[in-house]
Amino acid sequence: MVKTMSLFPGVTLRCVPDDRFKHGVLSLQLVRPMCREEAAKNALLPAVLLRGCRRTPDLRRITHRLDALYGASVGTLVRRVGDWQTTGLYCSFIEDHYAMDGEEVFAPMMALLGELLLEPVLENGAFSRDYVESEKKNLIATIASELNDKRAYAAGQLLKRMCAEDPFGLPRLGEQPQVEAITPQSLYSHYQTVLRESAIEIFYVGSRAPEQVAAQMETLLGDINRNYVNLEAQTAFRGGAEGDYTEVMDVNQGKLCVGYVTPITLRDEGFVAMQLLNVIFGGGMTSKLFVQIREKQSLCYAIGSGFYGSKGILSVSAGIDSGKRELVLEQIEKQLDACRRGDITSEELTAAKEALRSSLRSVHDSPGAIENYYASRALSGLPYTPDSYLQAVEAATAEQVAHAAQSLRRHTVYFLKGAEQ
Amino acid sequence: MKQRLYPELGESVWWSRLENGLTVAVVPRKGFSKKYAYLVTDYGSIHTEFSVDGKPFSAPAGVAHYLEHKMFDLPGRDVSEEFAALGANVNAFTSYDLTAYYFSCTERFGECLALLLEFVATPYFTEETVEKEQGIIGQEIDMTADAPDTRVFEMLMENMYRQHPIRVPILGSRDTIARITPQVLEACHSAFYRPDNMMLCVVGDVDPEQVEAMASGICAGKGTVTRRDGWQEDMTCGGGGCEEYMEVAMPMFQIGFKAEPLGKGPEAVKQEIVGDLAAEALFGESSELYLRLYEQGIIDSSFGGGLETVEGMAMLTLSGDSDHPDAVLEAVLEEAQRLSETGVEEEAFQRMKRSALGRRLRELDSFDSVCFRLCAYYFSGFDYFDFPEVYRQVNREDIQEFLKRVVTRQRCSLSVIYPKEETQ
Repeated sequence: MVKTMSLFPGVTLRCVPDDRFKHGVLSLQLVRPMCREEAAKNALLPAVLLRGCRRTPDLRRITHRLDALYGASVGTLVRRVGDWQTTGLYCSFIEDHYAMDGEEVFAPMMALLGELLLEPVLENGAFSRDYVESEKKNLIATIASELNDKRAYAAGQLLKRMCAEDPFGLPRLGEQPQVEAITPQSLYSHYQTVLRESAIEIFYVGSRAPEQVAAQMETLLGDINRNYVNLEAQTAFRGGAEGDYTEVMDVNQGKLCVGYVTPITLRDEGFVAMQLLNVIFGGGMTSKLFVQIREKQSLCYAIGSGFYGSKGILSVSAGIDSGKRELVLEQIEKQLDACRRGDITSEELTAAKEALRSSLRSVHDSPGAIENYYASRALSGLPYTPDSYLQAVEAATAEQVAHAAQSLRRHTVYFLKGAEQ
Repeated sequence: MKQRLYPELGESVWWSRLENGLTVAVVPRKGFSKKYAYLVTDYGSIHTEFSVDGKPFSAPAGVAHYLEHKMFDLPGRDVSEEFAALGANVNAFTSYDLTAYYFSCTERFGECLALLLEFVATPYFTEETVEKEQGIIGQEIDMTADAPDTRVFEMLMENMYRQHPIRVPILGSRDTIARITPQVLEACHSAFYRPDNMMLCVVGDVDPEQVEAMASGICAGKGTVTRRDGWQEDMTCGGGGCEEYMEVAMPMFQIGFKAEPLGKGPEAVKQEIVGDLAAEALFGESSELYLRLYEQGIIDSSFGGGLETVEGMAMLTLSGDSDHPDAVLEAVLEEAQRLSETGVEEEAFQRMKRSALGRRLRELDSFDSVCFRLCAYYFSGFDYFDFPEVYRQVNREDIQEFLKRVVTRQRCSLSVIYPKEETQ
């Protein structure tokens, strides 16, 4: 299914050849350690690169080139995968044979990608000051605008507090003071380091033969002066003080977030059981949290849980009346206790297994989902192939799920408190 | 069923209009595991006034959305649980002018489809279950009240429109939903959840004949339903701007320019594409204006817009975060004035068309998007997959005319949400 090729030391191309789609995608990610010193720079870098390259030094003319390629797109790509952060570009483009006037799309698209990545606009041996300053302002605004979505904001505040001593607590796009400190020189020198030393992960989904894509990429990247440095391995949750935090804001609805930790990560034996637990406990419209707290007690509209497999953190989030914090918290614990006791019906277990199987099968039906699944899997070190994963799901028992629940320890509560009804 | 081919898009669709009145479309996707089914009724939050056999009915605001929530109850059964047991995901949404129920699955498609058809056709409302939903939807209303992007839009609509019910939020309010009873829900279900007011769209590697046979089992509706439509809306905006203060990081704005309602059929779709291309020419990423405002730091990448249409209304809209929403509005008006005089260059126009076509083509890889668009456009009297032909009919003079007519001070309204002052 995935064809993996090593192009140069530390440069890997992964291809999923598939001719069922009307469009293809290609991502190029440089893999960095997630740390306060780098996070803001890694987030800013692709935004500055997208402002212009030597041949096409402004946004508008780049858009013209993309428009001529049937509205192809190239965007920033900044992901967090456990202890790592990636920085890079993401391209999406129609397959050549759908070009109504018969032109090529893929080759010119790759040429543009290469120019954006490797031929930035320079001034006095650094990035353009205008580009850097204006993208700094945009990045600061984007970081600040997390506040606009209260659910995401609350989830971010929970992680920040839980992971005070783990890079997982750093926001994906870095923090404002670090963005402000960036200069055109410091970013350019970071760019050179990143290109020279980072692992480069390229992922392609589309109708082209992997060898063809490899040849194209070798030409594109062959001239980079490389000195590849291995990254440190991913680690489990490193702890930090437990706590119970309340932040008051003038909002209509409170947001309650509860963070649990477990020694089980996606690299461990119990991972699949933990994923099943997450589905049964809080993963959708049939979960215990949804049925018991929303449907039976009308205490909320949105409630659910998510499991961060790379760290072993399970978080619960609920939008509630601010006067009902204690009641909802108690109910969440009660549902988790039920799981710990093994109070799991065979219907719940079967449905959870079916949900995991179905979501894996659906991955293969969209280029974006394929890219996201396999690129993340490769970086996070998930030790399963799709087949061995399906077998593990099949084999998991209710006892193992209960065991996964027992391994969870409540670590931090964060409450965004608003008006009480 | 009749198969129609769309060679340019590499698509084909099996179409059928059943005896019970239901329209069915099946889009084959050989070699895909996922199957997607959308059952949509041409009924949304704006349809609160209607009559059945001449007897008038006026429902409380928010009823279409409330009904959507309550459709998931069957006597002694839990629909979500049954879908989960089949390994399927089920969900629904209510917009201003339609309500959609949909599932995706990879196996046991027949059982999933049977369940979808059954639960959407089965009204089951008790005092107790309807009462219980008040708390849940009340929380949804609170959540939306804290969402600035929704609020900025709702404020704009309330400010721009005097007659059209788009001025009322989809969810209604805590007061209006308190008036919803099982009888109200039954009346609305019976009036609008009838096969001749609905469409079923399936995308995936399925047997079209099987889909058709299963959908034939739904009972036809009774009586004659007439809904209120055609709101007499003045094209000027009397109200000027509106603003509110919320917990946001920086000011968030949305601007609207009233346009004439589009009506139905291919001409309406042409007008919609004209509006979208006009938006692109005026302030899209390839425009002069976008680059200038972006470089001046007046807008950022959150900026965007296009033509927004709901039954009985249309508007050109643009929104984003900005410290200077007034400056954005002035710049847009000025640039529209200029383009109304000079027009759009032919080369730029052709490039924009090609780009828009390519983006629509890419979207066809999304099952969700295919289902939604086929249904929504069907209710507007148009086969969505005919879009390439409509693009060919649009010319640059249409864009110029649209900008001249619509993007004017008389027709515009500005809605802004400002950050709350520090209170500590």
